[in-house]
Amino acid sequence: MTCEEARESLMLLSYGELTFDQEETLELHLAECPSCAAERLRMERLEEMLALGEAEPPPGLLARCRRDLAVKIEDENRPMRRFSPRRLWRDWFVYTPLWLRPVGAMLMLAIGFVGAQFVPAGSLAGLGGGAAAEPVMSRVRFVSPDESGRVRVVMEETRQREFTGYMNDHRIRQALLAAASDPADPGLRVESMELLKNQGQQDDVKQALLNALRADVNSGVRLKALEGLKPYSREPEVRTVLAQVLLNDDNPGVRTQAIDLLIQSNEPEVAGILQQLLEREDNSYVRTRSQRALAEMKASVGTF
Amino acid sequence: MDEAALIRAAQAGDQDAFERLVRSYDQPVLRLAMNLLRSSEDAYDIYQEAFLRVYRNLDSFRFDCSFHTWLYRIVTNLCLDHLRKKKVRRTEPAVVETEDGPMDRMDSVPEHRADGDPQRRLLSAELRGKIEEVLKAMTARERMVFEMRHYQGMRLRAIGDVLGTTEEAAKNCLFRATQKMRSALGEFLP
Ligand SMILES: [Zn+2]
Repeated sequence: MTCEEARESLMLLSYGELTFDQEETLELHLAECPSCAAERLRMERLEEMLALGEAEPPPGLLARCRRDLAVKIEDENRPMRRFSPRRLWRDWFVYTPLWLRPVGAMLMLAIGFVGAQFVPAGSLAGLGGGAAAEPVMSRVRFVSPDESGRVRVVMEETRQREFTGYMNDHRIRQALLAAASDPADPGLRVESMELLKNQGQQDDVKQALLNALRADVNSGVRLKALEGLKPYSREPEVRTVLAQVLLNDDNPGVRTQAIDLLIQSNEPEVAGILQQLLEREDNSYVRTRSQRALAEMKASVGTF
Repeated sequence: MDEAALIRAAQAGDQDAFERLVRSYDQPVLRLAMNLLRSSEDAYDIYQEAFLRVYRNLDSFRFDCSFHTWLYRIVTNLCLDHLRKKKVRRTEPAVVETEDGPMDRMDSVPEHRADGDPQRRLLSAELRGKIEEVLKAMTARERMVFEMRHYQGMRLRAIGDVLGTTEEAAKNCLFRATQKMRSALGEFLP
């Protein structure tokens, strides 16, 4: 067996696709060829890393898929009763534009289409200026009967509105800042951070980056915030947050980046922070990185 | 009830049987879509569309391949379409204009497995980002084969069946994909 054949067999081995005899031949080669034997270790390591890279459906997604599929299949079976009140009440969501229908007692609902992604409304009042559309999502928030037998219903409705502008546009920046702190949607937060991260010269953006770095639960968002703060690592306020993150963040990738930013600042206090980190850090990669950083700062570990 | 009996019952209009059939396959389907498209909304769409098609076309299932293969043909076709569309589509409805012109919306970032498992927590974001980068650079077919092998544990033979190709072609495709991954992740390897 040549080394080239062995490399091909190694891949098939990791797929579990070798016959008994092919595996024997490969083992004989590996016993005699240190470089292919080393490649086997690398292939095993690669398998492990890929297993860790698997994306997991977020909790609740499977249940949502099953529930909505059941609704759609019910629709298929009874096309004439597509918008039955029973379904309306079961799902709380409604699928048709402007629909009025009595449900037992007098009950009027304006509804739209489901599936909008929305930013928190509070800070956004008056933004945009594009035409406000029909509500895209309606939800019953509150129901109460009165003495006369009528029912009072309070609907919460979301509208979708589109507007475009450059990054230096105040409205765009405000919308992105709001989206960057939308607790319901980590994907939206990452996307917004990606757009905002080069706007750190704006004070409100820098504050948002610092807040996200300190408090966002999603490490992808925190990493984007770190990128955005790179040019400001010399500023005392930024350094303070970086030190907090370095000592408290549970994500080793974030800690590693924080080290890189902190040592840029060349401040003597950084050596002390790194030593504090070394006392508690159990991730070997982060340890090595901070030891190396300390060495570069010519501060010997443990004696600063 | 074995699978064949379940399918016959579902074909005869038994809703419970159909639901049981869905539930015996839907978790791996959702995972495949999630890994291929790296977005929970896209994975949701694939799930709905795939099982609705199964529902509408179950009558035409004639037991001349396994149900798994039949279902995965539907799912992989939908995913391939989606991946190809994604590659050509440059703008999304809620696009944001920047000084460099319209920005692509990034794929939304799926949440990775919960923090309970320390090994996962240690996986650096750098490595994870790299893996996703390489996956994105693969052709839709390479990526499909790669994901079915790595995250679904399917044999080359079964992958070939699903994609309507030979075991040998599936193997070559998987080789190319693995080589790309192998060289891109070289710096992380011993
Ligand atoms: Zn060799």
